[in-house]
Amino acid sequence: MTGLRVRHRGTVALDSVDLTLGTGVHGLLGPNGAGKTSLIRVLATVARPSAGRVELLGRDTAGRRALGEVRARLGYLPQEFGYYPGFTVREFVAYVAWLKELPAAGTPAAVERAVARVGLADRADAKVRTLSGGMVRRLGVAQAIVNEPDLLLLDEPTAGLDPEQRVEFRELLRELGASTTVVVSTHLVEDVAAACTEVTLLDAGRVAYRGTPGALAALGETSGGPGDHPVERGYTAALRAHRATEAPR
Amino acid sequence: MTTAWHAAEDLALRYADGSLPEADAWSLEKHLETCTGCATRVSAAVRATAAGAELAEIRGSVLTAATTRPEEARGSDPCGSAARTRPAPTAPRRTPRLEPALWALGPALRGTWLLALLSVTIGALLLDHAAGYAATRTLLLTIAPVVPVSGVALSYGPHADPLHEITAATPSGGLRLALTRTAAVLGVSVPALTLTGAALPASGAPGAAAWLLPGLALTLGSLTLASYVGCRTATAVVAGGWLAAVLVPAVAAPGGPLTTRLAGRLATCFDGVQPGWAAAAVVCAALLAARRGAYDHLENR
Repeated sequence: MTGLRVRHRGTVALDSVDLTLGTGVHGLLGPNGAGKTSLIRVLATVARPSAGRVELLGRDTAGRRALGEVRARLGYLPQEFGYYPGFTVREFVAYVAWLKELPAAGTPAAVERAVARVGLADRADAKVRTLSGGMVRRLGVAQAIVNEPDLLLLDEPTAGLDPEQRVEFRELLRELGASTTVVVSTHLVEDVAAACTEVTLLDAGRVAYRGTPGALAALGETSGGPGDHPVERGYTAALRAHRATEAPR
Repeated sequence: MTTAWHAAEDLALRYADGSLPEADAWSLEKHLETCTGCATRVSAAVRATAAGAELAEIRGSVLTAATTRPEEARGSDPCGSAARTRPAPTAPRRTPRLEPALWALGPALRGTWLLALLSVTIGALLLDHAAGYAATRTLLLTIAPVVPVSGVALSYGPHADPLHEITAATPSGGLRLALTRTAAVLGVSVPALTLTGAALPASGAPGAAAWLLPGLALTLGSLTLASYVGCRTATAVVAGGWLAAVLVPAVAAPGGPLTTRLAGRLATCFDGVQPGWAAAAVVCAALLAARRGAYDHLENR
Protein backbone atom coordinates (compact mmCIF):
# COMPACT_ATOMS: atom_id res chain seq x y z
CA MET A 1 0.00 0.00 0.00
CA THR A 2 1.44 3.32 -1.11
CA GLY A 3 0.26 6.61 0.29
CA LEU A 4 -1.28 9.30 -1.79
CA ARG A 5 -0.52 12.91 -2.41
CA VAL A 6 -2.97 15.62 -3.43
CA ARG A 7 -2.25 19.09 -4.62
CA HIS A 8 -5.23 21.00 -5.67
CA ARG A 9 -5.23 24.68 -6.43
CA GLY A 10 -7.17 27.47 -7.96
CA THR A 11 -10.72 26.31 -7.33
CA VAL A 12 -13.19 27.96 -5.02
CA ALA A 13 -14.00 24.69 -3.27
CA LEU A 14 -10.45 23.73 -2.37
CA ASP A 15 -7.44 25.99 -2.31
CA SER A 16 -3.81 24.95 -2.03
CA VAL A 17 -4.68 21.69 -0.33
CA ASP A 18 -1.60 19.57 0.09
CA LEU A 19 -2.12 16.21 1.75
CA THR A 20 -0.34 12.93 2.08
CA LEU A 21 -2.40 10.05 3.43
CA GLY A 22 -1.13 6.63 4.42
CA THR A 23 -2.71 3.46 5.82
CA GLY A 24 -5.28 4.07 8.52
CA VAL A 25 -8.61 5.82 9.02
CA HIS A 26 -8.49 9.52 8.18
CA GLY A 27 -11.33 11.66 9.44
CA LEU A 28 -12.29 14.67 7.37
CA LEU A 29 -14.01 17.28 9.53
CA GLY A 30 -15.19 20.76 8.76
CA PRO A 31 -18.20 23.06 8.58
CA ASN A 32 -20.74 22.59 5.79
CA GLY A 33 -19.27 23.93 2.55
CA ALA A 34 -15.69 23.57 3.75
CA GLY A 35 -14.81 21.37 0.77
CA LYS A 36 -15.03 17.88 2.30
CA THR A 37 -17.17 16.48 -0.52
CA SER A 38 -15.10 18.28 -3.17
CA LEU A 39 -11.93 16.71 -1.79
CA ILE A 40 -13.47 13.23 -1.65
CA ARG A 41 -14.77 13.55 -5.22
CA VAL A 42 -11.27 14.51 -6.41
CA LEU A 43 -9.80 11.53 -4.52
CA ALA A 44 -12.47 9.30 -6.08
CA THR A 45 -11.30 10.50 -9.53
CA VAL A 46 -14.86 11.67 -10.24
CA ALA A 47 -13.99 15.37 -10.26
CA ARG A 48 -10.78 16.71 -11.73
CA PRO A 49 -8.84 19.48 -10.01
CA SER A 50 -8.49 22.61 -12.12
CA ALA A 51 -4.87 22.80 -11.04
CA GLY A 52 -2.47 20.65 -9.10
CA ARG A 53 -1.53 17.01 -9.15
CA VAL A 54 -3.31 13.99 -7.71
CA GLU A 55 -1.30 10.87 -7.09
CA LEU A 56 -3.28 7.87 -5.82
CA LEU A 57 -1.84 4.50 -4.82
CA GLY A 58 1.49 5.64 -6.25
CA ARG A 59 0.05 6.46 -9.69
CA ASP A 60 -0.58 9.83 -11.29
CA THR A 61 -4.25 9.78 -12.30
CA ALA A 62 -3.71 12.06 -15.30
CA GLY A 63 -2.89 9.03 -17.48
CA ARG A 64 -5.78 6.92 -18.83
CA ARG A 65 -4.16 3.60 -18.08
CA ALA A 66 -3.19 4.56 -14.55
CA LEU A 67 -6.68 5.96 -14.00
CA GLY A 68 -8.30 2.64 -14.90
CA GLU A 69 -5.98 0.72 -12.62
CA VAL A 70 -6.52 3.12 -9.73
CA ARG A 71 -10.31 3.00 -10.17
CA ALA A 72 -10.28 -0.81 -9.98
CA ARG A 73 -8.69 -0.49 -6.51
CA LEU A 74 -10.96 2.29 -5.26
CA GLY A 75 -14.06 2.16 -3.14
CA TYR A 76 -16.32 5.21 -3.11
CA LEU A 77 -19.50 5.96 -1.19
CA PRO A 78 -20.93 9.26 -2.45
CA GLN A 79 -22.82 11.56 -0.10
CA GLU A 80 -25.89 11.07 -2.25
CA PHE A 81 -26.43 8.27 -4.70
CA GLY A 82 -29.36 6.88 -6.60
CA TYR A 83 -30.18 3.28 -7.32
CA TYR A 84 -32.29 1.18 -9.62
CA PRO A 85 -35.30 0.42 -7.42
CA GLY A 86 -35.92 -2.95 -9.05
CA PHE A 87 -32.49 -4.30 -8.13
CA THR A 88 -32.07 -6.51 -5.10
CA VAL A 89 -29.29 -5.79 -2.61
CA ARG A 90 -27.25 -8.64 -4.07
CA GLU A 91 -27.78 -7.54 -7.68
CA PHE A 92 -26.82 -3.95 -6.86
CA VAL A 93 -23.52 -4.97 -5.28
CA ALA A 94 -22.79 -7.50 -8.06
CA TYR A 95 -23.44 -4.81 -10.67
CA VAL A 96 -20.86 -2.50 -9.06
CA ALA A 97 -18.45 -5.47 -8.88
CA TRP A 98 -18.89 -5.85 -12.65
CA LEU A 99 -18.22 -2.12 -13.15
CA LYS A 100 -15.05 -2.52 -11.07
CA GLU A 101 -14.00 -5.39 -13.33
CA LEU A 102 -13.83 -8.06 -10.64
CA PRO A 103 -13.21 -11.54 -12.09
CA ALA A 104 -16.62 -13.11 -12.73
CA ALA A 105 -15.68 -16.31 -10.89
CA GLY A 106 -15.00 -14.55 -7.60
CA THR A 107 -17.89 -12.09 -7.79
CA PRO A 108 -20.64 -14.07 -5.98
CA ALA A 109 -18.37 -14.74 -2.98
CA ALA A 110 -17.16 -11.11 -2.89
CA VAL A 111 -20.77 -9.89 -2.98
CA GLU A 112 -21.84 -12.17 -0.11
CA ARG A 113 -18.87 -11.03 1.96
CA ALA A 114 -19.48 -7.31 1.38
CA VAL A 115 -23.20 -7.62 2.15
CA ALA A 116 -22.49 -9.59 5.35
CA ARG A 117 -19.88 -7.10 6.54
CA VAL A 118 -22.40 -4.26 6.59
CA GLY A 119 -25.03 -6.45 8.28
CA LEU A 120 -27.41 -6.76 5.34
CA ALA A 121 -27.06 -10.53 4.81
CA ASP A 122 -30.64 -11.13 5.90
CA ARG A 123 -31.86 -8.59 3.33
CA ALA A 124 -29.70 -9.74 0.41
CA ASP A 125 -32.71 -10.66 -1.72
CA ALA A 126 -34.79 -7.60 -0.78
CA LYS A 127 -35.47 -4.96 -3.43
CA VAL A 128 -33.49 -1.79 -2.78
CA ARG A 129 -36.68 0.31 -2.75
CA THR A 130 -37.93 -1.59 0.32
CA LEU A 131 -34.87 -0.61 2.41
CA SER A 132 -34.86 2.18 4.99
CA GLY A 133 -32.54 5.18 4.68
CA GLY A 134 -29.96 3.67 7.03
CA MET A 135 -29.99 0.38 5.15
CA VAL A 136 -29.45 2.15 1.81
CA ARG A 137 -26.45 3.86 3.42
CA ARG A 138 -25.05 0.47 4.48
CA LEU A 139 -25.73 -0.87 0.98
CA GLY A 140 -23.63 2.05 -0.26
CA VAL A 141 -20.79 0.93 1.99
CA ALA A 142 -21.18 -2.67 0.75
CA GLN A 143 -20.78 -1.65 -2.90
CA ALA A 144 -17.73 0.45 -1.95
CA ILE A 145 -15.91 -2.46 -0.25
CA VAL A 146 -16.91 -5.25 -2.67
CA ASN A 147 -13.51 -5.12 -4.43
CA GLU A 148 -11.53 -5.06 -1.14
CA PRO A 149 -10.26 -1.58 -2.10
CA ASP A 150 -6.81 -0.26 -1.22
CA LEU A 151 -8.27 3.23 -0.98
CA LEU A 152 -11.73 3.63 0.49
CA LEU A 153 -13.55 6.99 0.35
CA LEU A 154 -16.67 7.39 2.44
CA ASP A 155 -18.66 10.62 2.31
CA GLU A 156 -20.89 10.86 5.41
CA PRO A 157 -21.16 7.07 5.93
CA THR A 158 -22.78 7.32 9.37
CA ALA A 159 -25.63 9.64 8.34
CA GLY A 160 -28.91 7.79 8.89
CA LEU A 161 -27.46 5.04 11.08
CA ASP A 162 -28.89 4.54 14.56
CA PRO A 163 -26.47 4.67 17.52
CA GLU A 164 -26.05 0.89 17.68
CA GLN A 165 -25.37 0.61 13.95
CA ARG A 166 -22.93 3.49 14.23
CA VAL A 167 -20.96 1.65 16.91
CA GLU A 168 -20.84 -1.45 14.70
CA PHE A 169 -19.86 0.65 11.71
CA ARG A 170 -16.91 2.20 13.58
CA GLU A 171 -15.76 -1.32 14.39
CA LEU A 172 -15.84 -2.09 10.65
CA LEU A 173 -13.93 1.14 9.94
CA ARG A 174 -11.15 0.20 12.38
CA GLU A 175 -10.95 -3.25 10.81
CA LEU A 176 -10.72 -1.80 7.29
CA GLY A 177 -8.21 0.85 8.38
CA ALA A 178 -5.77 -1.80 9.57
CA SER A 179 -4.72 -2.66 6.02
CA THR A 180 -6.07 0.12 3.76
CA THR A 181 -6.28 3.88 3.49
CA VAL A 182 -9.76 4.96 4.54
CA VAL A 183 -10.92 8.56 4.19
CA VAL A 184 -14.16 9.36 6.02
CA SER A 185 -15.91 12.69 5.89
CA THR A 186 -18.25 13.30 8.79
CA HIS A 187 -19.61 16.02 11.00
CA LEU A 188 -19.95 13.73 13.98
CA VAL A 189 -16.96 14.20 16.27
CA GLU A 190 -17.77 10.92 18.08
CA ASP A 191 -16.99 9.06 14.85
CA VAL A 192 -13.61 10.75 14.65
CA ALA A 193 -12.75 10.19 18.30
CA ALA A 194 -13.75 6.52 18.17
CA ALA A 195 -12.56 5.29 14.81
CA CYS A 196 -9.97 7.61 13.23
CA THR A 197 -6.22 7.43 13.46
CA GLU A 198 -5.83 10.93 12.04
CA VAL A 199 -7.98 14.03 11.63
CA THR A 200 -7.89 16.64 8.89
CA LEU A 201 -9.94 19.72 9.56
CA LEU A 202 -10.99 21.72 6.50
CA ASP A 203 -12.29 25.26 6.54
CA ALA A 204 -13.25 27.32 3.48
CA GLY A 205 -11.28 25.04 1.18
CA ARG A 206 -8.10 25.08 3.20
CA VAL A 207 -6.56 22.66 5.68
CA ALA A 208 -7.11 24.20 9.10
CA TYR A 209 -5.65 21.44 11.24
CA ARG A 210 -4.03 18.04 10.96
CA GLY A 211 -3.24 15.67 13.80
CA THR A 212 -4.45 12.71 15.81
CA PRO A 213 -7.85 12.77 17.52
CA GLY A 214 -5.95 12.72 20.83
CA ALA A 215 -3.97 15.83 19.90
CA LEU A 216 -7.16 17.60 18.80
CA ALA A 217 -8.82 16.71 22.11
CA ALA A 218 -5.74 17.95 24.01
CA LEU A 219 -5.89 21.21 22.06
CA GLY A 220 -9.52 21.56 23.15
CA GLU A 221 -8.57 21.05 26.79
CA THR A 222 -5.74 23.58 26.79
CA SER A 223 -7.32 26.34 24.74
CA GLY A 224 -10.85 25.81 26.08
CA GLY A 225 -12.98 26.11 22.95
CA PRO A 226 -16.74 25.66 23.40
CA GLY A 227 -18.22 22.17 23.02
CA ASP A 228 -19.57 19.13 24.89
CA HIS A 229 -16.88 16.65 23.97
CA PRO A 230 -13.06 17.02 24.17
CA VAL A 231 -12.70 16.55 20.40
CA GLU A 232 -15.55 19.00 19.82
CA ARG A 233 -13.74 21.60 21.93
CA GLY A 234 -10.57 20.87 19.96
CA TYR A 235 -12.52 21.26 16.72
CA THR A 236 -13.81 24.74 17.59
CA ALA A 237 -10.47 25.81 19.05
CA ALA A 238 -8.58 24.68 15.92
CA LEU A 239 -11.10 26.40 13.65
CA ARG A 240 -10.82 29.67 15.59
CA ALA A 241 -7.03 29.52 15.60
CA HIS A 242 -7.02 28.88 11.84
CA ARG A 243 -9.43 31.73 11.13
CA ALA A 244 -7.41 34.10 13.30
CA THR A 245 -4.27 33.41 11.27
CA GLU A 246 -6.13 33.54 7.93
CA ALA A 247 -7.90 36.85 8.64
CA PRO A 248 -4.94 39.27 8.24
CA ARG A 249 -4.22 37.98 4.71
CA MET B 1 -27.82 21.44 14.18
CA THR B 2 -30.76 22.05 16.48
CA THR B 3 -34.38 21.82 15.48
CA ALA B 4 -37.41 22.81 17.45
CA TRP B 5 -39.24 19.59 16.54
CA HIS B 6 -38.50 16.26 18.17
CA ALA B 7 -40.13 12.86 17.99
CA ALA B 8 -42.55 12.33 20.88
CA GLU B 9 -42.72 8.96 22.67
CA ASP B 10 -46.01 7.94 20.98
CA LEU B 11 -44.59 8.80 17.54
CA ALA B 12 -41.60 6.55 18.25
CA LEU B 13 -43.93 3.74 19.38
CA ARG B 14 -46.13 4.07 16.29
CA TYR B 15 -43.00 4.02 14.13
CA ALA B 16 -41.85 0.87 15.92
CA ASP B 17 -45.12 -1.04 15.53
CA GLY B 18 -45.45 0.03 11.91
CA SER B 19 -48.69 2.01 12.28
CA LEU B 20 -47.11 5.31 11.28
CA PRO B 21 -48.02 6.39 7.69
CA GLU B 22 -45.15 5.93 5.27
CA ALA B 23 -44.64 9.65 4.58
CA ASP B 24 -44.39 10.40 8.32
CA ALA B 25 -42.01 7.48 8.79
CA TRP B 26 -39.70 8.84 6.11
CA SER B 27 -39.63 12.36 7.52
CA LEU B 28 -38.95 10.88 10.95
CA GLU B 29 -36.05 8.86 9.52
CA LYS B 30 -34.67 12.03 7.90
CA HIS B 31 -34.80 13.77 11.27
CA LEU B 32 -33.06 10.84 12.97
CA GLU B 33 -30.04 11.36 10.76
CA THR B 34 -29.21 14.55 12.63
CA CYS B 35 -30.76 13.97 16.07
CA THR B 36 -29.09 11.49 18.39
CA GLY B 37 -31.70 11.97 21.13
CA CYS B 38 -34.63 10.97 18.94
CA ALA B 39 -32.59 8.20 17.31
CA THR B 40 -31.93 6.65 20.72
CA ARG B 41 -35.63 6.87 21.64
CA VAL B 42 -36.82 5.31 18.37
CA SER B 43 -34.09 2.68 18.50
CA ALA B 44 -35.22 1.65 22.00
CA ALA B 45 -38.87 1.53 20.90
CA VAL B 46 -38.06 -0.69 17.93
CA ARG B 47 -35.94 -3.02 19.99
CA ALA B 48 -38.82 -3.45 22.44
CA THR B 49 -41.03 -4.99 19.73
CA ALA B 50 -41.18 -8.71 18.92
CA ALA B 51 -39.52 -8.06 15.57
CA GLY B 52 -36.77 -6.18 17.40
CA ALA B 53 -35.89 -9.19 19.51
CA GLU B 54 -35.84 -11.39 16.44
CA LEU B 55 -33.69 -8.93 14.53
CA ALA B 56 -31.24 -8.63 17.42
CA GLU B 57 -30.86 -12.40 17.38
CA ILE B 58 -30.23 -12.45 13.62
CA ARG B 59 -27.83 -9.53 13.83
CA GLY B 60 -25.95 -11.27 16.63
CA SER B 61 -25.43 -14.40 14.57
CA VAL B 62 -24.45 -12.39 11.48
CA LEU B 63 -21.97 -10.32 13.49
CA THR B 64 -20.45 -13.43 14.99
CA ALA B 65 -20.06 -14.92 11.55
CA ALA B 66 -18.69 -11.71 10.06
CA THR B 67 -16.25 -10.86 12.84
CA THR B 68 -14.85 -14.27 13.70
CA ARG B 69 -13.89 -15.29 10.19
CA PRO B 70 -11.51 -12.43 9.43
CA GLU B 71 -9.66 -13.15 12.69
CA GLU B 72 -9.23 -16.81 11.78
CA ALA B 73 -8.10 -15.98 8.28
CA ARG B 74 -5.76 -13.25 9.44
CA GLY B 75 -4.04 -15.66 11.79
CA SER B 76 -2.93 -17.76 8.84
CA ASP B 77 -2.03 -14.77 6.67
CA PRO B 78 -0.25 -11.97 8.48
CA CYS B 79 0.19 -9.92 5.30
CA GLY B 80 -3.27 -8.43 5.66
CA SER B 81 -4.45 -9.66 2.28
CA ALA B 82 -6.40 -12.32 4.11
CA ALA B 83 -9.72 -11.04 2.89
CA ARG B 84 -8.86 -11.77 -0.73
CA THR B 85 -8.01 -15.40 -0.17
CA ARG B 86 -10.73 -16.06 2.38
CA PRO B 87 -13.48 -18.40 1.20
CA ALA B 88 -17.03 -17.11 1.07
CA PRO B 89 -18.63 -17.07 4.52
CA THR B 90 -21.69 -18.90 3.27
CA ALA B 91 -22.63 -20.41 -0.04
CA PRO B 92 -24.98 -18.01 -1.84
CA ARG B 93 -28.52 -19.12 -1.19
CA ARG B 94 -29.41 -18.19 -4.71
CA THR B 95 -27.08 -17.19 -7.48
CA PRO B 96 -27.98 -13.91 -9.22
CA ARG B 97 -30.48 -14.52 -11.96
CA LEU B 98 -28.75 -12.48 -14.64
CA GLU B 99 -25.19 -11.94 -15.66
CA PRO B 100 -24.00 -8.59 -14.28
CA ALA B 101 -23.08 -7.54 -17.82
CA LEU B 102 -26.74 -7.73 -18.70
CA TRP B 103 -27.70 -5.54 -15.73
CA ALA B 104 -25.59 -2.83 -17.30
CA LEU B 105 -28.30 -2.59 -19.94
CA GLY B 106 -30.93 -2.09 -17.25
CA PRO B 107 -31.72 1.63 -17.22
CA ALA B 108 -31.48 1.88 -21.01
CA LEU B 109 -34.40 -0.40 -21.56
CA ARG B 110 -36.43 0.77 -18.63
CA GLY B 111 -39.39 3.07 -18.40
CA THR B 112 -40.07 5.98 -20.68
CA TRP B 113 -37.86 5.14 -23.62
CA LEU B 114 -39.17 1.59 -24.06
CA LEU B 115 -42.68 2.95 -23.70
CA ALA B 116 -41.96 5.54 -26.40
CA LEU B 117 -40.56 2.88 -28.73
CA LEU B 118 -43.64 0.71 -28.18
CA SER B 119 -46.02 3.58 -28.84
CA VAL B 120 -44.17 4.53 -32.04
CA THR B 121 -44.36 0.98 -33.44
CA ILE B 122 -47.88 0.16 -32.26
CA GLY B 123 -49.10 3.66 -33.16
CA ALA B 124 -47.70 3.27 -36.69
CA LEU B 125 -49.38 -0.12 -37.18
CA LEU B 126 -52.70 1.19 -35.86
CA LEU B 127 -52.50 4.30 -38.02
CA ASP B 128 -52.02 2.12 -41.07
CA HIS B 129 -54.36 -0.80 -40.40
CA ALA B 130 -57.13 0.79 -38.38
CA ALA B 131 -57.13 4.33 -39.78
CA GLY B 132 -55.92 3.37 -43.26
CA TYR B 133 -53.44 6.25 -43.33
CA ALA B 134 -51.30 5.62 -46.44
CA ALA B 135 -48.22 7.72 -45.58
CA THR B 136 -47.47 6.01 -42.26
CA ARG B 137 -44.12 4.65 -43.38
CA THR B 138 -42.98 8.16 -44.35
CA LEU B 139 -43.73 9.37 -40.84
CA LEU B 140 -42.08 6.33 -39.26
CA LEU B 141 -38.88 6.81 -41.31
CA THR B 142 -38.81 10.49 -40.37
CA ILE B 143 -38.63 9.77 -36.66
CA ALA B 144 -36.84 6.39 -36.74
CA PRO B 145 -33.26 7.79 -36.61
CA VAL B 146 -34.22 9.89 -33.58
CA VAL B 147 -35.36 6.86 -31.55
CA PRO B 148 -31.93 5.30 -30.84
CA VAL B 149 -30.45 8.78 -30.31
CA SER B 150 -33.03 9.53 -27.63
CA GLY B 151 -32.38 6.08 -26.17
CA VAL B 152 -28.74 7.05 -25.66
CA ALA B 153 -29.82 10.30 -23.98
CA LEU B 154 -31.99 8.37 -21.53
CA SER B 155 -29.44 5.71 -20.64
CA TYR B 156 -26.07 7.28 -19.96
CA GLY B 157 -24.73 10.25 -18.03
CA PRO B 158 -25.44 12.10 -14.79
CA HIS B 159 -28.89 13.23 -15.95
CA ALA B 160 -30.09 9.78 -16.99
CA ASP B 161 -28.40 7.28 -14.69
CA PRO B 162 -29.17 7.48 -10.95
CA LEU B 163 -26.02 5.47 -10.25
CA HIS B 164 -23.76 7.77 -12.24
CA GLU B 165 -21.83 9.16 -9.24
CA ILE B 166 -20.78 5.62 -8.26
CA THR B 167 -20.30 4.56 -11.88
CA ALA B 168 -18.01 7.52 -12.60
CA ALA B 169 -15.42 6.19 -10.13
CA THR B 170 -15.20 2.73 -11.71
CA PRO B 171 -12.93 1.55 -14.52
CA SER B 172 -15.87 0.40 -16.68
CA GLY B 173 -18.03 3.45 -16.12
CA GLY B 174 -16.73 5.38 -19.13
CA LEU B 175 -17.05 4.63 -22.84
CA ARG B 176 -17.41 0.90 -22.18
CA LEU B 177 -20.67 1.38 -20.31
CA ALA B 178 -21.90 4.01 -22.80
CA LEU B 179 -21.31 1.60 -25.69
CA THR B 180 -22.91 -1.31 -23.84
CA ARG B 181 -26.05 0.72 -23.33
CA THR B 182 -26.02 2.09 -26.88
CA ALA B 183 -25.78 -1.47 -28.17
CA ALA B 184 -28.79 -2.40 -26.04
CA VAL B 185 -30.76 0.55 -27.40
CA LEU B 186 -29.88 -0.34 -30.99
CA GLY B 187 -30.52 -4.04 -30.39
CA VAL B 188 -34.10 -3.29 -29.44
CA SER B 189 -34.96 -0.35 -31.69
CA VAL B 190 -33.41 -1.56 -34.98
CA PRO B 191 -35.49 -4.75 -35.36
CA ALA B 192 -38.62 -3.15 -33.91
CA LEU B 193 -38.60 -0.13 -36.23
CA THR B 194 -37.40 -1.96 -39.36
CA LEU B 195 -39.96 -4.77 -39.05
CA THR B 196 -42.72 -2.23 -38.40
CA GLY B 197 -41.63 -0.26 -41.46
CA ALA B 198 -41.62 -3.41 -43.59
CA ALA B 199 -45.18 -4.19 -42.48
CA LEU B 200 -46.36 -0.81 -43.80
CA PRO B 201 -47.18 -0.14 -47.48
CA ALA B 202 -44.43 1.79 -49.31
CA SER B 203 -46.64 4.41 -51.03
CA GLY B 204 -43.72 6.45 -52.28
CA ALA B 205 -41.58 6.25 -49.12
CA PRO B 206 -38.02 4.84 -49.17
CA GLY B 207 -37.40 1.20 -48.17
CA ALA B 208 -37.98 0.06 -44.58
CA ALA B 209 -34.23 -0.51 -44.02
CA ALA B 210 -33.15 2.82 -45.54
CA TRP B 211 -32.88 4.47 -42.10
CA LEU B 212 -30.39 1.95 -40.67
CA LEU B 213 -27.12 3.58 -41.75
CA PRO B 214 -28.34 7.14 -41.06
CA GLY B 215 -29.60 5.97 -37.66
CA LEU B 216 -26.24 4.36 -36.85
CA ALA B 217 -24.31 7.42 -38.04
CA LEU B 218 -26.47 9.81 -36.00
CA THR B 219 -26.16 7.60 -32.90
CA LEU B 220 -22.36 7.43 -33.19
CA GLY B 221 -22.34 11.16 -33.94
CA SER B 222 -24.28 11.80 -30.71
CA LEU B 223 -21.76 9.77 -28.70
CA THR B 224 -18.85 11.66 -30.29
CA LEU B 225 -20.44 15.04 -29.66
CA ALA B 226 -21.25 13.90 -26.10
CA SER B 227 -17.53 13.60 -25.39
CA TYR B 228 -17.38 17.39 -25.77
CA VAL B 229 -20.70 18.69 -24.45
CA GLY B 230 -22.26 15.78 -22.52
CA CYS B 231 -24.92 13.27 -23.49
CA ARG B 232 -28.01 15.39 -22.96
CA THR B 233 -26.92 18.37 -25.07
CA ALA B 234 -25.34 16.19 -27.76
CA THR B 235 -28.42 14.05 -28.31
CA ALA B 236 -30.69 17.10 -28.33
CA VAL B 237 -28.51 18.79 -30.97
CA VAL B 238 -28.31 15.68 -33.18
CA ALA B 239 -32.01 14.74 -32.91
CA GLY B 240 -33.12 18.35 -33.39
CA GLY B 241 -30.70 18.76 -36.29
CA TRP B 242 -32.05 15.68 -38.08
CA LEU B 243 -35.70 16.66 -37.65
CA ALA B 244 -34.97 20.22 -38.83
CA ALA B 245 -33.00 18.96 -41.84
CA VAL B 246 -35.91 16.76 -42.92
CA LEU B 247 -38.96 18.79 -41.93
CA VAL B 248 -38.00 22.38 -42.76
CA PRO B 249 -37.25 21.83 -46.49
CA ALA B 250 -40.31 19.54 -46.77
CA VAL B 251 -42.61 22.20 -45.31
CA ALA B 252 -40.99 24.97 -47.34
CA ALA B 253 -41.09 23.04 -50.64
CA PRO B 254 -43.86 24.09 -53.09
CA GLY B 255 -46.72 21.95 -54.38
CA GLY B 256 -48.37 18.64 -53.49
CA PRO B 257 -49.61 17.33 -50.13
CA LEU B 258 -47.18 17.60 -47.19
CA THR B 259 -46.66 13.82 -46.88
CA THR B 260 -45.62 13.61 -50.56
CA ARG B 261 -43.12 16.42 -50.09
CA LEU B 262 -41.85 14.70 -46.91
CA ALA B 263 -41.44 11.41 -48.79
CA GLY B 264 -39.50 13.26 -51.46
CA ARG B 265 -37.28 14.90 -48.87
CA LEU B 266 -36.61 11.52 -47.19
CA ALA B 267 -35.70 10.04 -50.56
CA THR B 268 -33.11 12.82 -50.95
CA CYS B 269 -31.70 12.07 -47.49
CA PHE B 270 -31.65 8.27 -47.86
CA ASP B 271 -31.54 7.06 -51.46
CA GLY B 272 -28.25 7.28 -53.30
CA VAL B 273 -26.40 8.80 -50.33
CA GLN B 274 -26.14 5.57 -48.30
CA PRO B 275 -22.35 5.36 -48.92
CA GLY B 276 -22.15 8.87 -47.49
CA TRP B 277 -23.96 7.75 -44.32
CA ALA B 278 -21.66 4.71 -44.06
CA ALA B 279 -18.63 6.97 -44.35
CA ALA B 280 -20.08 9.32 -41.73
CA ALA B 281 -20.59 6.37 -39.37
CA VAL B 282 -16.98 5.24 -39.84
CA VAL B 283 -15.64 8.77 -39.28
CA CYS B 284 -17.74 9.17 -36.13
CA ALA B 285 -16.57 5.78 -34.82
CA ALA B 286 -12.94 6.75 -35.38
CA LEU B 287 -13.45 10.13 -33.70
CA LEU B 288 -15.21 8.44 -30.80
CA ALA B 289 -12.31 6.03 -30.34
CA ALA B 290 -9.93 8.99 -30.27
CA ARG B 291 -12.14 10.80 -27.75
CA ARG B 292 -12.66 7.80 -25.41
CA GLY B 293 -10.62 9.45 -22.67
CA ALA B 294 -13.24 12.19 -22.34
CA TYR B 295 -15.73 9.55 -21.13
CA ASP B 296 -13.55 9.00 -18.05
CA HIS B 297 -14.55 12.47 -16.85
CA LEU B 298 -18.02 13.18 -18.14
CA GLU B 299 -19.40 13.95 -14.68
CA ASN B 300 -19.89 17.68 -14.95
CA ARG B 301 -21.57 17.76 -18.32
